[in-house]
Amino acid sequence: MSRAAYLIQQALSSLRRNALVVAAAILAVFVSLTLAFGALVVNELFRVNTTRWQEGVHVVVFMKDDVSQDAQADLEREIQSWDEVDKTTFCDKTCAWLEFNEMFADQPALLEETDASILPASIRIKLTNVDYYRDITFRLLDNPAVRKTVTAGDRFDQLSNISSILNALGLGLAILLGVASVVLIANTIRMAIYARRDEVSVMKLVGASNWFIRIPFLLEGMLQGFVGAALAVAAVWAGHGFLAGLEPDDFFIRLSVGNDFLIQWGILILLFGASAGIVGSAFGLRRFLKV
Amino acid sequence: MILLEDVTKVYEGGIVALRDVSLDVQKGEFVFMVGPSGSGKSTLIRLMLREEPATRGKIWVAGKDITKMPSWKVPNLRRSIGTVFQDFKLLPNRTVSENVAFALEVLGRPKTVINHQVAQVLDLVGLATKGDRYPLQLSGGEQQRVSVARAFVNRPPILLADEPTGNLDPATSVGIMRILDRINRTGTTVLMATHDHAIVDAMRRRVVQLERGRVVRDQSRGRYESFRVDDDETPKKVGPAVEEPSPEPPSVPEDKEPADVPEQSA
Repeated sequence: MSRAAYLIQQALSSLRRNALVVAAAILAVFVSLTLAFGALVVNELFRVNTTRWQEGVHVVVFMKDDVSQDAQADLEREIQSWDEVDKTTFCDKTCAWLEFNEMFADQPALLEETDASILPASIRIKLTNVDYYRDITFRLLDNPAVRKTVTAGDRFDQLSNISSILNALGLGLAILLGVASVVLIANTIRMAIYARRDEVSVMKLVGASNWFIRIPFLLEGMLQGFVGAALAVAAVWAGHGFLAGLEPDDFFIRLSVGNDFLIQWGILILLFGASAGIVGSAFGLRRFLKV
Repeated sequence: MILLEDVTKVYEGGIVALRDVSLDVQKGEFVFMVGPSGSGKSTLIRLMLREEPATRGKIWVAGKDITKMPSWKVPNLRRSIGTVFQDFKLLPNRTVSENVAFALEVLGRPKTVINHQVAQVLDLVGLATKGDRYPLQLSGGEQQRVSVARAFVNRPPILLADEPTGNLDPATSVGIMRILDRINRTGTTVLMATHDHAIVDAMRRRVVQLERGRVVRDQSRGRYESFRVDDDETPKKVGPAVEEPSPEPPSVPEDKEPADVPEQSA
């Protein structure tokens, strides 16, 4: 017990002594792991949205008001017959009004001002493969019964592009900075050893075991990695909270990932930071303390 | 307690520090190692502490063959050897008591045992009242006594001292030697490398003389300089190395090493 306390106290006092270099190492771990964790969250957001997109409604065809019910039914049947189409759902003006009410339940003024009759009927199309959305949109472009087709495809493509760029950039930087932070931690450990070289030489002289000498330094590196990782997790959680607050009541896009995801990966990031710290200090200790 | 068999140490670059050194030190003996700088005294101490491996030969310390010892056992070896150096090697940011206690702390001894043993050993070296001072508030002699206390606080069976009086004036040196003598009387084997003629001549203990990495004299109740044995009735015990034809007879002081030879015999 007193031995453990002694080792921890050694590590802490050493951290205090090299505060500036330690701050640099922690910062490097923090930035690196924030990028890595951020990239993971963006990835997850992308996956979440893709799943919704994959399972949901892909194209909405709004009808002109002057189209007869028969013509609407014909069009739906025609669309249904296309190979690319998995399923269609018809939503008439009443259904549209109900949906509108639901969507803007928190804005009664808007609901009061809106005339139910201006809301168009629509056919919602589910595709067998989301990639066909362009063909379908194109095919319906000149149909006289169609007022407008709406699809999330464009947003989807945009999101996909942004996500892959962010991913590549984020992970690339994260790896670079990860290496840098391990090296920085190794460096702080070297400095710590240097600062305590007299003490270490006396310890060797009186027969302290190698692990007794090493453990404070390993602890020190581990703490640096852990603190950096904790800051990164906190930053990503905060960032995610902010983003989730911006989430629109939108049909297509979600800006938040599950809490399970955040917690599980948060713990993994913490463990990763701590082990990176240990690896860094092990590098710092190498060649040194060979008795 | 300490046994060396044909030990040779060659440093990188081919510098031969020790050449076929054999030495047998019994338990409870007090041995002076004398010889000019570079004769191999410090190397011998480093080998016994396993700070360096021997190039050839065998070394037993406290019954263990340390030439074959795996490095993880070395800390254990060092717990059975107390060490005192010319430059004290005290930690300036710790008090006298803390410096001595440090040797026990790193071995994980309980606090009550540490307090008791530290008080006891500080009393032994005559610093019972100065436990709360910092090393830099002490004189050189007192600092060296702290260093001896730290070396002995664990009651090791062996005490190695490398020029412990090298930085001290003669009067202070006598004080240190009294303490080492007392420690020796408790049954601790003491091996001390020194340049201090007065001390060696006054103590009249076994003297091992090294020159250029060889043992050139091994004499019980010896003096610093071998030629002065002649004007003394003490029987001369000559080590095996002397019997070999040696290019430099050990009985004559070398002109080449004037630094280590006294100007006059006084």
